[in-house]
Amino acid sequence: MRKAAGALLTFWLLSAGAVGAQDLASFEKRVTSKVLPNGLTILVVERPEAPVFSFFTHVDAGSTQEVPGITGLAHMFEHMAFKGTKTIGTKDYAAEEAALVRVEQTYEAYDRERRKQTGRDEQKVEQLRSEWEKAKTAADEYVVLNEFGEIIDRNGGVGLNAFTSSDETGYFYSLPSNRLELWAYLESERFLEPVMREFYKERDVVKEERRMRTDSNPIGKLVEQFLATAFTAHPYGQAGIGWPSDLDTITATDAVAFFETYYVPANMVVAIVGDVKPAQVLPLAEKYFGRLPARPDPQPLRTVEPEQTAERIVILRETSQPFYIEGYHKENAIHADDVVYEVISDLMSNGRTSRLYRSLVRDKKIAAAAAGFNNFPGDKYANLFAFFGVPTPGHTTDEVRDAIRAEIERIRTEPVTDEELLMVKRRAKATLLRSLDSNQGLALQMGTAQARYGDWREVFRNVERIDKVTKEDILRVASKAFVPSNRTVGLIETRPADAAAVAPAKGE
Amino acid sequence: MKPINRSAVALGALLLLLAPSSFAQVSDWKEIKVPALNKFTIQQPTKITLPNGMIVMLQENHELPLVSGYAAVRGGSRDVPAAKTGLLNIYGEVWRTGGTTKQTGDQLDDLLESRAAQIETGGDIDSTSISFNVLKEDFDPVFDIFIDLMRNPEFREDKIVIAKNQLRTGIARRNDDPSQIAGREAVRIAYGLDSPYARVPEYYTVDAVTREDLVQWHKRHVHPNNIILGITGDFDSKKVEQRIRKAFGSWAKGPAVTTAEIKFQEPKADVYFVPKDDINQSSIRMIALGTTRNNPDYYALQVLNEVLSGGFASRLFSNIRSKKGLAYSVGGGVGTQFDHPGIFMLSMGTKSETTAAAIDALKEELTNIVSNPPNQLELDRAKESILNSFIFRFDSKEKLLNEQIALAYYGYPSDFYSRYRDAVEKVTPADIAQVAKKYVKGDKMAILVVGKAADFDRPLSSFGQVTTLDISIPEAPPGEAGATPAAASTGDEKGRQLAQKVAEAYGGQNKIASVKSVMQKAKVTMKTPQGDIPITLEAIYVYPDRAYQKMGTPMGEMVMVASPSASFMSGAMGSRDLPASQKEEQMKEIHRDPFFVLQHAGDADVTFTSAGTEKVGDIDAQIVDVNSKGAEVRWYVDPASGRILKSSSRAMTPTGPGMQVTTYSDWRMVDGMSLPFQRVISVNGEESGQSTTEEIVINPPVDAKLFEKPAA
Repeated sequence: MRKAAGALLTFWLLSAGAVGAQDLASFEKRVTSKVLPNGLTILVVERPEAPVFSFFTHVDAGSTQEVPGITGLAHMFEHMAFKGTKTIGTKDYAAEEAALVRVEQTYEAYDRERRKQTGRDEQKVEQLRSEWEKAKTAADEYVVLNEFGEIIDRNGGVGLNAFTSSDETGYFYSLPSNRLELWAYLESERFLEPVMREFYKERDVVKEERRMRTDSNPIGKLVEQFLATAFTAHPYGQAGIGWPSDLDTITATDAVAFFETYYVPANMVVAIVGDVKPAQVLPLAEKYFGRLPARPDPQPLRTVEPEQTAERIVILRETSQPFYIEGYHKENAIHADDVVYEVISDLMSNGRTSRLYRSLVRDKKIAAAAAGFNNFPGDKYANLFAFFGVPTPGHTTDEVRDAIRAEIERIRTEPVTDEELLMVKRRAKATLLRSLDSNQGLALQMGTAQARYGDWREVFRNVERIDKVTKEDILRVASKAFVPSNRTVGLIETRPADAAAVAPAKGE
Repeated sequence: MKPINRSAVALGALLLLLAPSSFAQVSDWKEIKVPALNKFTIQQPTKITLPNGMIVMLQENHELPLVSGYAAVRGGSRDVPAAKTGLLNIYGEVWRTGGTTKQTGDQLDDLLESRAAQIETGGDIDSTSISFNVLKEDFDPVFDIFIDLMRNPEFREDKIVIAKNQLRTGIARRNDDPSQIAGREAVRIAYGLDSPYARVPEYYTVDAVTREDLVQWHKRHVHPNNIILGITGDFDSKKVEQRIRKAFGSWAKGPAVTTAEIKFQEPKADVYFVPKDDINQSSIRMIALGTTRNNPDYYALQVLNEVLSGGFASRLFSNIRSKKGLAYSVGGGVGTQFDHPGIFMLSMGTKSETTAAAIDALKEELTNIVSNPPNQLELDRAKESILNSFIFRFDSKEKLLNEQIALAYYGYPSDFYSRYRDAVEKVTPADIAQVAKKYVKGDKMAILVVGKAADFDRPLSSFGQVTTLDISIPEAPPGEAGATPAAASTGDEKGRQLAQKVAEAYGGQNKIASVKSVMQKAKVTMKTPQGDIPITLEAIYVYPDRAYQKMGTPMGEMVMVASPSASFMSGAMGSRDLPASQKEEQMKEIHRDPFFVLQHAGDADVTFTSAGTEKVGDIDAQIVDVNSKGAEVRWYVDPASGRILKSSSRAMTPTGPGMQVTTYSDWRMVDGMSLPFQRVISVNGEESGQSTTEEIVINPPVDAKLFEKPAA
């Protein structure tokens, strides 16, 4: 944990005098944080620009909490968190509860039989499947479709959504500020007693999401293979959306177990930003979020990616256009060197003065875009610094690779100029400033910092740390990380549609 | 972490969760009181109209020490001639990157980035824009650059090259993602292929754009009376107004921008299909024309759209996603635009195996919204959702400014949205039933599917007449193969002499005229990223317009035929027609064949233009540019022997258009003619293959059946 000294920051003074009321000191006056007795952290940020507010619920559990057999489950639960509770989304919960137990029982029987490697009785599979179908239909009778989302829509909610990453799961939306108490009820209720209704239909929806994001998207396909190659032990190598066979077999029971283990109040931060006052929010938080029962902290992740000793390459031969990516293992975001990588990323990628743009796009004209980015696919655990390039027509991934490597060699061996470093530092301050003008953006940013580092102030302190990065830091970090044995390469090679692909067009 | 033992945790945990909660003292959500929303009036921007017609809107906001703004300029890609589609994309980029008369774009990049400031430009369908975002303290110098770019842009050539490169990259990649294909083709179906709202840049339209086009565009459009400028942030309005009056006050008015009338027609309710075999999810679109926002039906339509697809409780989301589990992404409604009809479109993605079931489901919703229009409950839900979230339209000063700029731009009243709110409040079930009936014509919409037909649950023909769309990326305009400036050349005497020399090497005019067909067998080695691929080739050309090619590849045998009666490709898995662009390419291939060229050397549309000399090996080859009925090829001729040592032509490659160069050697006598038996082929300077001819037969017996498409 990176707990900087409590003294107020001086970084603002380093900038060319550009400060209004937006430094850390001003936020200190507007931010209130409180840990409820059950361990849940609530963060209130006053920003009374208009009578609205946004929030972000950060749950410190993502797809890295999955093991083989249940990949995709964190994301699946995220979908289920929109399906309502014992009081929302049901016509008769007592009856529905019994029906849902029956769905699980019939599914388990069916699933065991259908996945038998020897002695499977096809007739029995069919009969068990039909019992499961009947049980689902019976349970559906009690469903009030999408009532949870409907309440939010009717009350003027906007941007209702959620995401699951490798590191975490996040839930968010915005409401008019007179709906504060309703919000406190809904958001706590959803994690107090979620009900796994319509689980198997939602599993089909998630499979469609996989087809859209991964199977039918060449770059999605490449990234999945690239990560699976770069990480041999750590779950960053697993498909966050879930491997297809797991999406065929995960159950509502699995989802409940995942929820019970990881949706623990101490594992959650709720940040609320807008026209709200702590005096209003905190009592409501205690009343509603205080209902969540305290549960033991989940075990920290055990697996650490072993040091890479050999270069790896993964090649996708597709009829789509070429694409190049290469990644190098590095420490996580809490490591002191992470800001150095932030600086390298900015220097390499940000804007038309960036090194990769100037070399590959402007001068060599071999790429339409090229960049280097930090913390892929997540930042909680040791991860990758990755570079990618999009070749222009007639140019190859080899040319792009060589040009990227030339820039990597430069950053490893030649000190950056004073002007470049100053530019990056100015830009870091301005970027922070520009990110402070939206309730939802602030909630996401501050909620995540609170969860990841235990302190929302890290949003501001990060800029101070960037300000201290030196040319020597860059040489040291780059020359250590960017070496061949620490590298994984992924690329799409374009193949012409081949003879075997000449299929009759059944559509006609 | 500890792996979850699934069967053990299983039911236990579920039951635990279902057990009654001990924190049940909270009452039902329905009893939670919602107080009235705090009274809120947002500060309106100050509007100033300069004497030269420029409209300026200033919106102070002192929350953060930043200033940003943008100028919207009338005129957009809908006003660009079809042959130069893409001009606005290039203009939108190079306006900024090309720099000003005083400073290059690179100098601006350095200057702006060192201050963490941004100035960007862009081109859109009906407007162009230039915007800035700057730390308060840097406003003055950055605003100077902003003004300079508006008044004195330079459009330097080197940046045009980059912008064109980016655009070409986009063209090459536009068929990689199925939803991008569906989105693009849906717009083309809705507005018509030739509509300025549907056109997409092609390689040849991008090539056609010149620096002069950009300069002229700027000259014609960027006048004060065509501009609305909005600025928001931490500034003093009085001072900035003075600054603006000083900077722009003396700028003379220019001609007003006019847009030619664009016609709209309801698309035919046919089925359109784009085959894509490397995906497992179909992208489906249902398409018809929408309407404009000044239509009195607009308000009821917004409520209708909300019922159809606004949020979780909407019909499409509930029925197709939640109940049927057929889609992750499903939505759509009657689209509207400010000054032209929007598109009425429903979209979804579903696995290939449920494509027909998904279309059935969409059709059912369309039929239903008319036969079973929204009841009071659905109406209330939709209206509450729109009205309660109305505050989010103006919860920031910047949003309000942008909205006011848009209303002013399209000539809508500035209180349009408060009227909108009142009108939505008044919508009744009868209103919504009436617009449903008027705009949703049963299930009669065009259907577009991008997907893998072999896996569909039912053929698309069960939904109506199917048109398979050719989305292959053409190199030249349809029907104008190689219509480049050189095509206008009438050739020159030296060129004709060189052609004559080549004809002699082929045994003279009479000999050439006697060639009706040529059969050639060769072994080809194709260099691919996956390694060398050996191919056996048998090619038969029957002049003037039939080509048959049989290729034996490691993946199986494939036949490609181009002829006036049938053009197809067939292989182990069946046969299909060649897309028009590929057929075109094949015809050009015949037109570039030396026998064809020499047989037609006397035709008016076959020209020879000399183009200097160049070394091929040790020989000073004479260059002749051949234009053979639109197909272009450059021959490098040995002046001594008349042999074509090398030829080059533009060709389509899997990654876009490229220059294909063939070098010939190993001449042998066949039937009294000296013909090459060795070829080395390179594309864009990289060797892509070699071919060794095994046999050439002049006027072989040709089985007419070869040119007939086999029954599917």
